[in-house]
Order: sequence, then C-alpha cells, then structure tokens
Amino acid sequence: MTKLLEWVGVALALAAAWALVALDALDAGVPRALREVAWPLPLYLLVAFGCYSLATVGYRVATFNDCDDAAEELRAQIGEAREDLTRKGLKW
Amino acid sequence: MATVTDRAVGVSLVGFSLLLFTYYSIWVIVLPFVDADHVLHHYFLPREYAVILPSVAALVVLLCIGAFVGAVMLKNRKPKKVD
Repeated sequence: MTKLLEWVGVALALAAAWALVALDALDAGVPRALREVAWPLPLYLLVAFGCYSLATVGYRVATFNDCDDAAEELRAQIGEAREDLTRKGLKW
Repeated sequence: MATVTDRAVGVSLVGFSLLLFTYYSIWVIVLPFVDADHVLHHYFLPREYAVILPSVAALVVLLCIGAFVGAVMLKNRKPKKVD
C-alpha cells in the first residue's frame, strides 16, 4: 500500500464518519444538536488551525530575540575564513 | 531584541486569534446545545453565516495571495533574449 492510498483511505474514513453524523446518512436518528455541530466541523477545524497558526506567528513575533552568541561565533568564523583564504593567496 | 512595536503586534495577533477561536467555538460548538430563545443567541449571527463568512474570508485571502504571487511573477519575468 502506497502512502497516497493510505492517506486517501484515512480521508475517506473521516469523510464517511462525518457524513454518518452530519448528514445522518444511515437515518440512525442522530440528535439535531449533534448534527448541527458536526455539519460545519471541517470548516471549524480549518478555522482552529488558522487561529493556531496566527497565534504561533504572533507569539514568535513578540518573543523574537537576537542571537548574540551565534552572531559572535559567525563573526569569528568569517574572520577565520578570511585568514585562511588570504594565506592561500586570495586577494580581497 | 523584539522592539516595543514587535511585541505589541505579536501580542495583538495572539489576542486576536484567541478571541476569534473562542467566539467561533462558542458559535459552532456550544450554540446548538443552547435553547433557541436564550440570551446568548442575540450575540451571534444566524448559523449559516458561521459557514459563509469563513468561506468568503478564505476566498478573499486566496485571491489576495494569488494576485500577489501573480504580480511578483510578472514583475520578475526576465525579458526574453533576442538572438
């Protein structure tokens, strides 16, 4: 079974479960309130994911920090590389 | 370090998303279990808008992204070489 088939299978199973509850596909007498919740559930999940993404971006923006140690390290490495290249005869 | 503006923007983004999530959750998940004549229903649009509004918003966002990508690609298109 390829990965694609696996994903399609999972998606189909989820869609079937959704149809079973939201559309009452088998006429099993799903309560009205439950059906009303289940019907917009895919969109709700999308909205929830969007909110999570937005919150993550916002949190990272708010706590964005400078990496002083990394900058120092990088500067040192650039210096080393320059030295090395100069020794090998590169003219700047 | 994140400047004051960065922090304000970030915190407001988090706050907005939390607010949106809470409001939408109540609208979609909680409201069907509340009696139809309850006060809570006054604070929400009719139920079909819970689907229509996000769909329209998604459409607008996708259109904006498409227009932006298209504009960038048009601007960056290299002029064809003339032999």
